[in-house]
Amino acid sequence: MIQVKNLVKRYGDLLALDNFNLEVREGETFGLLGPNGSGKTTAINCILSLLKYSKGEINLFGSPMKPDNYASKKRIGVVMQNVAVFNELTVIENIDYFCGLYIPNKKERNPLVEEAIAFTGLDDYRKFLPSKLSGGLLRRLNIACGVAHKPDLIFLDEPTVAVDPQSRNHILEGIKELNRNGATIIYTSHYMEEVEQICTRIMIMDNGKAIATGTKEELKAMIRSGEKVTVEIPDLSNEVLREIDSLSGLIDAKYDDQLLTARCVSESYCLSSVLDTLRKHNVGFGRVFSEPPTLNDVFLEITGKELKD
Amino acid sequence: MFRNIFGKRIIGSIRDRGSLVWTLIFPLVLATLFYIVFSGIDAAGMLNRFPLGVVNDAAFQENVAFRTAIESVSDEDGLFELILHDSVEEANVALENGEIRGYIIVGEIPTLIVTMDGIEQTVAKTFLDRYLQMQNSIEHVMMTNPAALANLVPMEFTEEISLSHNPPSGVLNFFYALLAMTAMYGAFQGGTAIIYLQANLSALGARRTVSPAKRWKVIFYDLLAALAIHFTCMMVLLAFMNFVLGIDFGQQIGFVILTCFVGSMLGISFGALLSVTPRLKEGAKISIMLAVTMVCVFLAGLMVGGINYIIAERVPILAWINPAARLVDAFYALYFFDTYERFALNIVIVLGMSIVMFIMTAILTRRQRYESI
Repeated sequence: MIQVKNLVKRYGDLLALDNFNLEVREGETFGLLGPNGSGKTTAINCILSLLKYSKGEINLFGSPMKPDNYASKKRIGVVMQNVAVFNELTVIENIDYFCGLYIPNKKERNPLVEEAIAFTGLDDYRKFLPSKLSGGLLRRLNIACGVAHKPDLIFLDEPTVAVDPQSRNHILEGIKELNRNGATIIYTSHYMEEVEQICTRIMIMDNGKAIATGTKEELKAMIRSGEKVTVEIPDLSNEVLREIDSLSGLIDAKYDDQLLTARCVSESYCLSSVLDTLRKHNVGFGRVFSEPPTLNDVFLEITGKELKD
Repeated sequence: MFRNIFGKRIIGSIRDRGSLVWTLIFPLVLATLFYIVFSGIDAAGMLNRFPLGVVNDAAFQENVAFRTAIESVSDEDGLFELILHDSVEEANVALENGEIRGYIIVGEIPTLIVTMDGIEQTVAKTFLDRYLQMQNSIEHVMMTNPAALANLVPMEFTEEISLSHNPPSGVLNFFYALLAMTAMYGAFQGGTAIIYLQANLSALGARRTVSPAKRWKVIFYDLLAALAIHFTCMMVLLAFMNFVLGIDFGQQIGFVILTCFVGSMLGISFGALLSVTPRLKEGAKISIMLAVTMVCVFLAGLMVGGINYIIAERVPILAWINPAARLVDAFYALYFFDTYERFALNIVIVLGMSIVMFIMTAILTRRQRYESI
């Protein structure tokens, strides 16, 4: 559905996209994950023909994407990172306006507009002006304007930024539903939990480059880290810490701020051996946490920095 | 597509209070203030009938010609309110008390007595001089060629010189300049339309650029909606001035409306061209719009009456390139002149400016891909 080959985009001296390649298959929910400034939005804007680029090839639905490729544009839905609605039009007028850019016939459009209102849960706010909506409702309106015409391919660029948890869940569930109904989704975010929750395949980006692509399981399998064990310990001697650190199947162990953190090698489970060692030395401990590896661990191991930063 | 884009932009513009304040409310308030401040100025400029004394002695009674002449200009619509005094002393007292502006002693040669200079004293003196001139002419003809007496024209003391089918007015220029200012405020409507179109200027512009609506259609429909809204504002202002404030725009109301329409085009195109410049922030663009408009309307006579004539005389090029001055002059030409050459020239200039700005805007907005957004 989308093929991007060797895309290079510069902002003056800054290389925003460095030989960027992307392939999105029909029916996927494809996540572009990366910290702010990693090139996610630039990639989307190049694909949508909003930005000029120095080099590369972009194909959508099998044809080159250009500003006047109206046939492809007709099949695309876009939810911009910044809310893009008319402040002077009500909720229903805004949705009708954007749907009308794709479907000129009012009779055909009306049921789609109603469906989009119901889908985003904006029924009680249909006569509201955007200025009267909360941040979460405004984001939902932004989504309704982008998807009302039932596109085959939907770009969602950080649609949950500055959104309350209730609206965030509503939005994420809605995206899953769009995908179930047949739409291919491109979802950009710097929230790894969201990407893990809804995306079938994920590309991790940093400094304009794709550093890893695959399902979340595939990505996690790429790194050495496996389970992460965290134990609350009021007092831990260096001797016990060294013994834990030398356990087999452990990458390393750290003790800081009354918390012992032990990183296990991928595919191995070290929780019981850590707890056994503590008991052996009569070390009292409080709560124990065991977490599988996250995409942040993937990002950390590949780039040496936290995704959250 | 047209109904959707055009119709929603109309609705949006009506609800855009900020824009409507500049293009409708502010001009309406200013027109009302002008009306309050300037009411009576025209009347003050007109010469009112004033009291003039005549010593009603034997000489006055015997001089039938003079009596007839002064009585002919002393009726209700005349120049003088004629007050007869029995003696010179009585006339002097009346003059000192300010009851009369001057008085005439007929004697052998009628003489005007005044104690101060002024328009009314000048009018009285002009009347008397004209009378004496005519009297001398008649006496001369009688002595030299009495037969020609019959050919002498009847004596007229007032003469109406008509430059126009409409009466002169000292305040109309202010209202014309106000209309020109409102026309240029169309820049707000035109500017908003373009900001909402350009992906590098607003998220809304980016969102619309990625839609399958053809770009020229969106630009055309949006600017058409801006023009429709702004022209309607101009019409409301014109109707308010005409029907509520009683400002007389002459008989050529169709051409007055045409001038407003061309003025709206000018304002819209000016705002559109300014807004297409990506490097300026929105606040800076609005500041420039206001500054340019205020300079133009100042030079067209909005704040200082007659400055447009001074500019036209001393820096004519500035007057010709000032669109507000051209609009004011178009209204002026419609009101005062029976011919249309001057009006047509002004309209062609303003229309030309608008078309050039629209073409430049179209060239600058045709691209859809940007270096950065």
